[in-house]
Order: sequence, then structure tokens, then C-alpha cells
Amino acid sequence: MTDTPIIAVENLSKNYGKTVGIRKLDFQVNQGEIFGFLGPNGAGKTTTIRLLLDLLRPTSGRASIFGLPIRNNSLEIRRRCGYLPGNFSAYGEMTGTEFLRFVAEISGKETALQVQLVDRFSLAAGDLAQKIKHLSHGTRQKLGIVQAFFHNPELLILDEPTIGLDPLMQEEFYRLLLDFQRNGSTIFFSSHNLPEVEKVCHRVAIIRAGELVALETLEALKKKRYRRLHLTLREEVENVALPEAELLSQIGRVYNFLVKGNVENLLWALARLPVEDLVFPEPELEEVFMTYYRRDRDE
Amino acid sequence: MNRMTYPHFIWKTHRGLIVFSVLFTAALQFLIIFLITSVDTAPIFDAIAKQLPARLRILFNEQFMNRLSVKGAAAFGFNHPLVIALFGIIATVIPARHIAGEVESGTLELLLSYPVRRRTLLFSLWSSTATFLLFVIAGALAGSVSALLIFHFFNAEVFGGLVQIAANLWLLAVAIMSYTLLMSVFWKEAGKTGTRSAAVTLSFYFIYFISTLWDFIAFLKPVNIFNYYQPQKLMFGQQSFLKDAVVLGALIIIFAILAFRQFERRDIP
Repeated sequence: MTDTPIIAVENLSKNYGKTVGIRKLDFQVNQGEIFGFLGPNGAGKTTTIRLLLDLLRPTSGRASIFGLPIRNNSLEIRRRCGYLPGNFSAYGEMTGTEFLRFVAEISGKETALQVQLVDRFSLAAGDLAQKIKHLSHGTRQKLGIVQAFFHNPELLILDEPTIGLDPLMQEEFYRLLLDFQRNGSTIFFSSHNLPEVEKVCHRVAIIRAGELVALETLEALKKKRYRRLHLTLREEVENVALPEAELLSQIGRVYNFLVKGNVENLLWALARLPVEDLVFPEPELEEVFMTYYRRDRDE
Repeated sequence: MNRMTYPHFIWKTHRGLIVFSVLFTAALQFLIIFLITSVDTAPIFDAIAKQLPARLRILFNEQFMNRLSVKGAAAFGFNHPLVIALFGIIATVIPARHIAGEVESGTLELLLSYPVRRRTLLFSLWSSTATFLLFVIAGALAGSVSALLIFHFFNAEVFGGLVQIAANLWLLAVAIMSYTLLMSVFWKEAGKTGTRSAAVTLSFYFIYFISTLWDFIAFLKPVNIFNYYQPQKLMFGQQSFLKDAVVLGALIIIFAILAFRQFERRDIP
């Protein structure tokens, strides 16, 4: 372990003409960390990633990876990185096997790990023999994962990597992330899915409309977390009050609460009520911003 | 990066078009020389030429079969509209598809996330396409030479003329390819890039013929790339190959430098 952050971003901005892509981002990612980069679609996640890979040129600010400024060391940095683009697209006319051979030749790396990864993600020989344009989205995404990981990179930059994967493959993917992290890789992982980030990440940055609105450890994020609770009672009850929960609406026997903090007291209180059904729906990311962060600012 | 990986990929993508073009140009050359040497076409062309207005007759002789000779026929094969169109297609499609097209499909983003220098990638594309164009020209040359040998018209003078014409056509095609590449590094759609480049090339071709017919726009000739490719004149020693090569070579260098500069600094969206 070294003290030098693997990724250091300082005051980084990118404008597209008059449109702001990202504005004055500041964050660091430490060695061996799984860092979640969370934000709704269009927030600036992909722009940030492309700046890190030197695909885009910043309007202002700077960034370095492995302690090397990106602009002057792009080749060395990319040699040590694995990247999975958001909308992963490979050459449609190639077969899966040809594509994997192609990326191995381009990167000049061994293909031993490719075989293990192909096996791990259940990529059948029949799939690999087909032209990529004929593969399903999920199978293509698996190919994308293999090409990002096969050369055992020190840093993995993954842009919404689980899109298109079925739940079983998602779980396998999370296990893969943890395996690589245990072996010393650092992982920068963008997502718009809060539970996914909670599952694997150590720290989380939240970006919204191009600006960093939060940089938290997972524990801190969880403490701040608000949940919605849809409660259905067997009969209508007047003045239902729950600890650390705010009643947002009531339609007949259905109550809609906003819950913050420890749910233990809440469960005790619920036990005294004639509960027919209760649901904690996963909050949409936008809801997280609207409820939690706006509240923080108001407070 | 293995230096041959990307050129090999480009070859695999376009080998059908290249192989077809080699066979087509070789066969066309062979056929034209065969017709001129084995069929008495002179009375037919004479009859047609007599019906033409004076300016068109000059154009016909300049651009097509000078004096209806075997030398003229050999040079004509390299200036046949189908051959020019075929070279235009290769010179336009490949650069448009591999930069603008790869931006459009998202594969360039993936490719440049690997340890590949942008200039290496662009040079691979430029040099591969130039080589493919050379293959097609070699096919045309092979078709001409074999026909001349078979029909006993081969001699050093005709061969020398054909080599100059072939080199001149290669420079013209590489110039077209280079300005397409320049357009391709600015834009992000293969279709638009290819269409615009083809429109520019067709405009040059059309304007060249118009400016040959009408004196009042003859001043446009020096700024037209087709002015520097005159197979008939080259074959009959009426035009300097060196001058054409210098002008087309300079254009190629300028377009290539501009393309490399722009590609180094462009955003890959």
C-alpha cells in the first residue's frame, strides 16, 4: 500500500460549448478501494470517466492516476487500467473469440485469465463462435467484463457494469469485484443504482448535474439514508405515529411514511399495530437526492 | 500494441471490396486492350467522334482513347469512370468507417482505452488504406501488362507510361483518402463523412470536365485535383509526372498533418 491516491481529481471541469458536463470535481480514490460513483443518468459520470481515460480533454482542472498526470502519461496509465464502457459495443462483425484475441493483441497481454473469466461468466463456446452483432445484450456485457478484467489491471474503471446482466450474473460480478479488490486492484465503479453500490463499495461519491454533492463512506451514507415505507393496516387507525418516521400521506388503510435512521424502534412500534402488509420500496436515486440531500442543506 | 493488429482488422473488414476491386480493374484493363487489339473499333469511334462538337471531340481524345491507339486504350483503362468510382469508394469508405464510424459505434472509445497511441492508430489506418489502394492499382497494372503481352503489344515505352499512370492514380486516390480522413477526424458519423467526401470528389470530377469544355471557368483547373491526373497526356508525354506527383504529394502531406493534429486533440464522445 502507498499513500499516493490511485486517482486524484482536482477542480476538474468539462464544458461542451455552453453546456456544463462536470464542474469543479474534487475527489481521491485510494489504493485497494472499491469506489462507487453514483448519479442519475446525465449527471456527468461518463464524462468524468472519459476524462480519466484521456478520451476527453478537460476544460480546466487536472487529474492524475497512479500519481501520474493523465495528459502526459495516458499510455502508461491505460496500460495499467481495465475499462468497461457504459454502452459496451464491440466490433459486430467479429465473433466473441476473435474479439477477445483482438483485445489481447492490442493490449499485448496474456490470455490465460480470459479462459477463467469466460468460464466464470458461463460464456458458452457456441456464444463465442457467433458474430457479436448476433449476441444478446447480456452476453455482450459479459464479453465486456472479460475484456476489462483479463489483463489483471491495477485499476478497473467500470461504467454501469451490471446493465444487462441477469441477477445471478450480477452476483457473480460482485464476487469478481471483491476477488480483484482482495488481490490489490482498485475499482472505480459508476452506477445509478444505490443498492448495488451499497453492496460492494467502501466509499461513494454522488454527482448530480455535473457537481459533486457528497463524498461519503458507506456507513455515513447509510446513516443518512431515508426510506419510504408503505404500510397497509387491516383497519383504519387514527393518528398513526411511528418513531423516526414522518407520515407523508394516507389513503384509506394505506399509509406512506418517510423513515430515517434506526428501524429497530420502528419495528417495535409496528408490532403494536394491526399490520396487513408492509413494503420498503428501494428509493430511486433521484428520490435520494430530493429527500436526503435537500433536507441536509435545509437543515 | 502489436503493430499489425489494427491493419489486419481493417483488412479483414474490407477484404471483399479490395479483392473484388483488384479483379475488376484487372479484368477491365484486359478487356479494353483486348477489344482495341482484336476488334477494329476505329471506324466506330471515328463515326461517333465526327458527330461530336469540336470541344467534346477534344475532351474525348484527352480523357479517353487518344487516337484510338493501344497506348491510348491502356491509359483509358486507368481513367474509366468505373475505375475512378471504385478508387473513390475505397478511398472514402475505409477512412470514414474507421474513425467517424467507430466514434459513432462506440468502438473507438474502447480501442483508445487500451494502450494505443492515437497517432499510431491513425497511421495504421492511413497506411493500410494506402496499401489496399496500391493492391488495386497493381491489379490494374497486371491486367494491362498481361493483355499487352498476350497480344504482343508490350514494350518498354508503354510499360513506362503505365507505371507513371499507376503511380499518379495511386497519389490521386491517396489524396482523396487523406481528405476523407481529415473529415473523419472532425465528425462522428460514418454516413455523413462518406457522403460529404464523395460529394467533394464528385464535384471536383464534374467541375474538371466543365472547365475543360468552357474557357470562362478554365481558371479553376489548377485548384482541381483531377487536373493532376491526366493518363492520356502522361502516356503520350504531354504532361509532367513529376509536377503531378509533387502537387498531389503536397496535398496528401497537408491533409495528413491536419488530420493527425485534429485527432490528437479531439474529444472522443
